[in-house]
Amino acid sequence: MTNQTKSQFIAVASITSELSAVMVVAKEISLAAANAKAIAFRAGDKAKGFQPITDFINELAKETIELVTSINVHALSLYRLTVNEYRRTGAYNRFELATKMAEGAVYAQSMQEPLEHARLSMLDCQRQFKRDVAQLLGQLEAVMHHARAARVIAANSRIEASQAGEYLQSLQAVAESVDKAAHTIHDNVQRCRIALSLYRNT
Amino acid sequence: MKMTKIYEGSHQWIMFGRDENKPDNIVDSNQYVVRTANRCLLLDPGGSELFAPMMAAVLHHAPVEQITDLFASHQDPDVISSLGLWDQALSDAKLHAPAIWEGFLRHFGCESIEYVPIPDNGGTIKLESLELQLVPAHYLHSSGNFHVYDPQARILMSGDVGAALEGPGAPVFVDNFDAHVEKMRYFHQRWMPSNQAKRAWIERVRNLDIDILAPQHGRMFKGDDVKRFLDWFDALQVGIAV
Repeated sequence: MTNQTKSQFIAVASITSELSAVMVVAKEISLAAANAKAIAFRAGDKAKGFQPITDFINELAKETIELVTSINVHALSLYRLTVNEYRRTGAYNRFELATKMAEGAVYAQSMQEPLEHARLSMLDCQRQFKRDVAQLLGQLEAVMHHARAARVIAANSRIEASQAGEYLQSLQAVAESVDKAAHTIHDNVQRCRIALSLYRNT
Repeated sequence: MKMTKIYEGSHQWIMFGRDENKPDNIVDSNQYVVRTANRCLLLDPGGSELFAPMMAAVLHHAPVEQITDLFASHQDPDVISSLGLWDQALSDAKLHAPAIWEGFLRHFGCESIEYVPIPDNGGTIKLESLELQLVPAHYLHSSGNFHVYDPQARILMSGDVGAALEGPGAPVFVDNFDAHVEKMRYFHQRWMPSNQAKRAWIERVRNLDIDILAPQHGRMFKGDDVKRFLDWFDALQVGIAV
């Protein structure tokens, strides 16, 4: 197995790992939203501006979870494609070697068809891999967009929390947890994108 | 890869082995080809490391499209880990292998090749007018294991039975049975798990008319050495690791 193939396997496998961490964090945001909603309800008029924000937070967490679930399916398919590409590249290399070793054999020419077929299959896998990587990068960009939106919501939450009197601390804690979660999602997804972007144009 | 024609009649048997270019840390193995007018059967075609030299060697005897059948005596990697490569090279081929190993052997890759499961009591492989018998050899050493008998050529391809782990320079036939015994003893005592299975196989095989006993490793036995081997194996206690 070449170093590039090893890196490709590691990159694809690491996406699943990074995304499972994103999923945990997104669920935490969803919990924070439920918590914020309860606090805002208790605070009544003092947290009037905070109440619609909790719905935004919840919606954002729900969408992130859905998106990550869909990306995981694509990441699994990308992993299978990586295995397939590895097998087809291996076969092509062995067929090429067999063809060279068979020079002078009566039936050496008959190897040309499987060799060409293996070459086309390998190229087809490589093209499909690049297409799928580009698609996955697009989906990861959508998660980044959600993370950025979550940070804006966290900033707004802090402002609204400052109007909430004795509920200030509780609501600020909610805003902090949303901000922290958004950072984590951003960093994890960014790592996925860096790992994958190496293969977009190779 | 050394090629030795061991039978020539209405069809041919060719033995391939003693590959001088194989990596040092993998065991040498014998591959056999049965060639009829338009078809070709590879018996225990070997590990993935051996695919290229094996394919190149076969092309001296048959075109790729006439390699129509593969046989795997059991599931070991030195027997059939090349399956995934043959699977991509052959467009219309069958793999005859023990039924109980199907789900395991498919891990090597078996998408285009048709898996023909051999039931525990054996069966046949038909190559044009030639009919080869699949002789049960369970627990010798694998729990699902078959040998191939050709009644016309009087050859028994005996998988790991009769095997000896030798270097690439070893002769293809046993020339001094008594001296050869020590090359086989530990292999048979350690790899073969069951005296009961051994006795059942010997009883079955003594009823066959055999000119050549062709194992998957080491040297082949011919003539009187076949009987000498059966007698020696009959007396040997196996399954020594417990």
